Amino acid sequence: MTRTTRGRRRASLVATAACALVLGVAGCASSSSSKGGGNKSGPLVIGASVSLSGDFADSGKAVQRGYQLWADEVNAKGGILGRKVQVKIVDDTSSPNQVTTNYQNLINRDHVNLVFGPFSSLLTVPASQVAKRYGYAFIEAAGGGPSVFAQNLQNLFFVQRATVLTSGDVFADWILSLPADQRPKTAAYPELDDPFSAPIAEAIRKRFEAAGIKTVYKEVYPAETQDLSPVMSGLAAKHPDVVVSGTQAEDAYAQVKSLIQLKFSPKFMFMSNGASDPLNFPDKVGAANTAGIMSVADWYPTSDATGSQAFVSAYVKKYGGTAQQIDPTSAEAFACGQILEDVAKQTGKVDNATIIKTLHSGTWQTLLGSLSWDQSGAPKGTMSLVQWQSGKLTPVFPAADAKATPLSTKPNWGG
Amino acid sequence: MHALIQGVILGVLTAGVYALMASGQTLIFGIMKVINLAQGAMVILAAYLSYQLHASFGLDPFLAIPITPVALFVIGVAVEVLFLRPLRQGDKAELSLLVTFAVALLLEGVISLGWKTTYRSINTSYANSSWTVFGYQITLVRLWAFLLSIGVLVALYLLLNRTRFGRAVRATVQNPESAQLLGVESRLVSALGFGLGSATAAAAGSVYGLLYAFHPGSHYDLISLLLSIVVLGGLGSIGGAVLGALIVSVSSSVVAATISPAWSAMTFFVILLGVLLVRPQGLFGSPVRGAI
Repeated sequence: MTRTTRGRRRASLVATAACALVLGVAGCASSSSSKGGGNKSGPLVIGASVSLSGDFADSGKAVQRGYQLWADEVNAKGGILGRKVQVKIVDDTSSPNQVTTNYQNLINRDHVNLVFGPFSSLLTVPASQVAKRYGYAFIEAAGGGPSVFAQNLQNLFFVQRATVLTSGDVFADWILSLPADQRPKTAAYPELDDPFSAPIAEAIRKRFEAAGIKTVYKEVYPAETQDLSPVMSGLAAKHPDVVVSGTQAEDAYAQVKSLIQLKFSPKFMFMSNGASDPLNFPDKVGAANTAGIMSVADWYPTSDATGSQAFVSAYVKKYGGTAQQIDPTSAEAFACGQILEDVAKQTGKVDNATIIKTLHSGTWQTLLGSLSWDQSGAPKGTMSLVQWQSGKLTPVFPAADAKATPLSTKPNWGG
Repeated sequence: MHALIQGVILGVLTAGVYALMASGQTLIFGIMKVINLAQGAMVILAAYLSYQLHASFGLDPFLAIPITPVALFVIGVAVEVLFLRPLRQGDKAELSLLVTFAVALLLEGVISLGWKTTYRSINTSYANSSWTVFGYQITLVRLWAFLLSIGVLVALYLLLNRTRFGRAVRATVQNPESAQLLGVESRLVSALGFGLGSATAAAAGSVYGLLYAFHPGSHYDLISLLLSIVVLGGLGSIGGAVLGALIVSVSSSVVAATISPAWSAMTFFVILLGVLLVRPQGLFGSPVRGAI
């Protein structure tokens, strides 16, 4: 062992002892803090660590807006069970270490009554572990990666309609629902090497191949790939009927731009992410070039799910802009609060044990639609298939969500 | 075969932009023996300046090229005078690595403050246009970028070979002491040389912003690419930088189009390693005496 390591270990022992002392004192001072704690009267304080700086800052702020807006709305209606709601947000700088510290502090030092989740699976995993340790329910809007559900925590509930891995299923469902002569015969899969991109395209590929749709191109490109033109030129040379892109944001825009420059327009085009961004996608690739491109969404501004339109008007009133400019992450964060309200309404309680027990059964109506979860907290539903039609992202499948008929052939570039 | 030829076309057109960025890098090394790790950050800063000129005034990035190089020239001269000149001659090569890396971080920080950390791209009306020639697509933006790069490189060549300043630069590269004895003001040449290297980064940056989306941290990927190109071509050789850019760009483009994008970045490192084993000074580098 080196001197530095030994020194660090000694320092950490001292720190641990100090923490134990502080926690002990805190425990004596407030005996109600240990399990699912906080005060049982006064305002209902909900703590959340959100990335207000660092890599996830933009999305983190969208989560913050959703939580805050819900608190304002519920307080305007008199709060939950007569208690005003206070949302206590702390910044985790997009760091897994900081998020752990933040939830420790929220629970042990600030004695918040409840907690909501942070942004990203990366931060949700350590944060949910802290919540589990102290018996807190962990309702979270933005950690849907496989690593979150692999923990099999019984206190976690992911407030979206599907997990990352199953989010593309709805596109496969639609394609395979087409009459055999209208289905694509060949498929290409350009995939970003990212746990939230490639696995979505891969899940679709398995179903397509099982249904006899031939794979003519499948390549995974590294995240640092700057120039996607050569990649897409290799794809275009194979003339696939359907392009299933496992993308994030910038690579999705680059794929579309490259295909336009290469003058290759497939019959069907699906992108896991990027194309579902109502603001940036048309801005980056040109509004006329979006026509026919498909993606998935669990919320869209025209949704008529429970409370969606009220959310849109409240959001625009509070933050300005237009409905189209609302980041779906804000809607997902808002839905966390809706679920809490419903539990309180149904049980007459808002303690953590009740929330965990209650949410494990039944379906819950939110602005995202009906939600229900398995034991690991993975939602059991499917996403909506959305397609760009006349410059707008429109839900087209399944029929229950559809606002328009899907275009069975993507128009050529430029509409 | 179609994918291969299309890959070569894309690679050649992109090589022009890489050559432009790398020529500034190699020029600075030739004159001052300084490896400028801030060259990538300067390209990105110029891309942001072009982006802003386009967003605020609707100025086409190609038309911004007379403006951004002037700004970066001034920044380059300031960096040389403020940060590099005070370094002791004996330690200059090693310490300049640290200093220019610090400059890169400083520029990254300033860009993050000014434009935030989200991706930006410059979208012009002709951004997605291309010409079909014998069934192959020639992207308009890349073609203009390529022609512009050739133009700037020719101008740089003429500046170095047909002007008094160029003679002074070449003399400093070949033998700094003798050049000084013959009356060349080497401190001035260094400052102007660093400024000139930064100005070429600016010209490349405007074009870079048209081709790719960028964010403040984009310079990390860029600097590793630029270093590979100048080492492959031979540190200090502009001709080498052009050839290095061509090899790097065409090989990675062809591999991405025909084999796999996963092997694309690896390919030019393999080529680089192979060349260095045979010619440690790079393709055009001189083991004894400098030459541009």
